[in-house]
Amino acid sequence: MASIDDESSFEDPAEALRLIEREQANLERELTPDPRLMYWPWGLAWLIGSGLLFLRYGPDGRVFVDMPGWLPLLIMSSLMIIAGITTGIVGSRSSRQVSGPSSRQGAMYGFAWSVGFTSFSVVFARLTRAIPDELMGILWGGGMVALVGALYMAGAAIWTDRDMFVLGAWISGVNVVGVLLGPGWHSLLVAIAGGGGLLIAGLVGWWRLR
Amino acid sequence: MSDGTLPDLDPVIHAQARLRVVSALSQLNESDRIAFPRLQEILRMTAGNLSVHLRKLEDAGYVEVTKTHRGRTPATLVRLTRRGRFAFEEYVTVLRSLLPPGETP
Repeated sequence: MASIDDESSFEDPAEALRLIEREQANLERELTPDPRLMYWPWGLAWLIGSGLLFLRYGPDGRVFVDMPGWLPLLIMSSLMIIAGITTGIVGSRSSRQVSGPSSRQGAMYGFAWSVGFTSFSVVFARLTRAIPDELMGILWGGGMVALVGALYMAGAAIWTDRDMFVLGAWISGVNVVGVLLGPGWHSLLVAIAGGGGLLIAGLVGWWRLR
Repeated sequence: MSDGTLPDLDPVIHAQARLRVVSALSQLNESDRIAFPRLQEILRMTAGNLSVHLRKLEDAGYVEVTKTHRGRTPATLVRLTRRGRFAFEEYVTVLRSLLPPGETP
């Protein structure tokens, strides 16, 4: 491909159409952040973080693994911060050197994520002392997962991405069901169905781009 | 330029290298601009080669090349003009009409 530098043209229109399709797909692939890097860090954060939360604060106050009470939330929030930084970098790198409306959209969307998380953290931190330990998972987990679900659906509206919308709706549904079932169950659902959903979304997105 | 076998096609676009450039640019949003080195990297063309073809596209009014500054470093940004987009769509329509009936690329 690299050596095509002449005025050569085609005699076969089908060949030209294939070339067009190939170049369009190639640009799309180059400018779209790798879905694996966008979704898997979150999927892992939920799988591990929420999984630990379940093991420490199981349903009906059961403790499956005796670890300090603060540990699961600390691990979960650290993993989520790492995921946030990773997706921020990967997302902005892919649109690097493209300027105009779409890079502004991306920047605003990324900003919405960080502002949303910061706002929720401030609100929840204020409530933390007033809330019994076993409900902390519902507050932090339920709140943050609700935010993520809503942001994915909003992102889907920006990029008209049906898969992303399905993911956001799935996460929101799983979250509400988990919150209604109560502490412990919520963590388990978010870990398996939520984290699993994110891992699958990364795989599906990557598959479609290939 | 064209060897005469497909006479109805826009000669500015109907050359492999420029068709590749225009196809790639057509995939950007209408008012988005892409930096020259990035476009070069995506198309895997040499800088000289890409410049030559961009100039031809610019002369036809299909592409807009703007020089700007990002901080202190100069940057060259490229965008398909509305005219270029229209010409490209026209070109694709003609190509489709030249396909033998029933054939899909």
